[in-house]
Amino acid sequence: MLDTCRELERQGFEVTYLDVQPDGLLDLEVFKAAIRSDTILASVMYVNNEIGVIQDIAAIGAICREKGIVFHVDAAQATGRVEFDLSRMPVDLMSLTSHKTYGPKGIGALFVRRKPRVRIEAQMHGGGHERGMRSGTLPTHQIVGMGEAYRIAKEEMGAENVRIRALHDRMLAGLKDVEQVFINGHLEQRVPHNLNMSFNYVEGESLIMGIKGLAVSSGSACTSASLEPSYVLRALGRSDELAHSSLRMTIGRWTTEEEIDYAVETIKLNVAKLRDLSPLWDMYKEGIDISTIQWAAH
Amino acid sequence: MAYSEKVIDHYEHPRNVGSFDKGDESVGTGMVGAPACGDVMKLQIKVNPVSGVIEDARFKTYGCGSAIASSSLVTEWVKGKTLDQAAALKNSEIAEELALPPVKIHCSILAEDAIKAAVNDYRQKHGAGQAI
Repeated sequence: MLDTCRELERQGFEVTYLDVQPDGLLDLEVFKAAIRSDTILASVMYVNNEIGVIQDIAAIGAICREKGIVFHVDAAQATGRVEFDLSRMPVDLMSLTSHKTYGPKGIGALFVRRKPRVRIEAQMHGGGHERGMRSGTLPTHQIVGMGEAYRIAKEEMGAENVRIRALHDRMLAGLKDVEQVFINGHLEQRVPHNLNMSFNYVEGESLIMGIKGLAVSSGSACTSASLEPSYVLRALGRSDELAHSSLRMTIGRWTTEEEIDYAVETIKLNVAKLRDLSPLWDMYKEGIDISTIQWAAH
Repeated sequence: MAYSEKVIDHYEHPRNVGSFDKGDESVGTGMVGAPACGDVMKLQIKVNPVSGVIEDARFKTYGCGSAIASSSLVTEWVKGKTLDQAAALKNSEIAEELALPPVKIHCSILAEDAIKAAVNDYRQKHGAGQAI
């Protein structure tokens, strides 16, 4: 979304970016106050990819309707995890993707409401496929794959969410008593598949290097190639060092209880090992507040 | 991130982890980096007051695997060197030895800064303080 907004700014549009509350949720009053008389569109992520919090789409949509602005929702992370019904939700445009819900890579969809009608511009021109909105021969196998993935997700969602919630709680119970650990994002208003924690005084990338058997990420997958701390965690008001110390753990359709227990043990072991190596941990133990030290940024 | 075997070896078996007493006259301490940037290195050297040779070294590092490996390697390299030799260590030698990718070169720069800071601290303690 951010890159799309930046491109719109380049074209001369004005974009207002809103910070979230420390729990990751959007403050509806702040949202309402940010809408200007010339605002034409609002875009919100249904479920955040890094911290898993679920925004109140119905309430945000109601505000948009009242103000007469188009409401776009990025639901890439929500499908198969959050129950929603577009026939009752005040959403005008919704982006969907297949691969986040166990479907094939390379296909997604844009829901465009007919009533009240939303007019959109084509991104690609040519063959006139899909009413001229997206030219190009339709990939039948991809479409079937996405549809089937969504069908299975819908069928299994109820039971899966219960099972995954139990694994989430098991993991949380195993890790929450580690000293100086911080949970990122609202604890209830979130998808159970995601658990994001910061292990203070341990740098996330080095932690990932130690827990070799686990596929996790620090910050977001999109920024871990760079050295910048996660902007999502910074938006929660987390300090740079806590953002650097974050670990995003996700639970999937095939995750087992044994794997959760293994993950908890491995993470605890490596956090302890890296804290033994950490000069910041020593300072914390000596009662030195590292925020009072004049560090030389590099 | 693909790490070289040497980085992995230093990460898994870091050499000379620990601390010396900062107040010890024979110890020089260098602490560089910043938590907000994701790297902090503390490097300490123990110097023979007669010969001026570094007899021992210790480190503690908060940072990625390459930062840990760079500081671990430096503690090995500075042992047996004079202060001048240690201060002359170049980050490019560290980066080359560990085959650091371009995005991790700053780790070797930090390690070079750390050893320079430790040498400087020792010299200041002994009345020969000068910025290197």
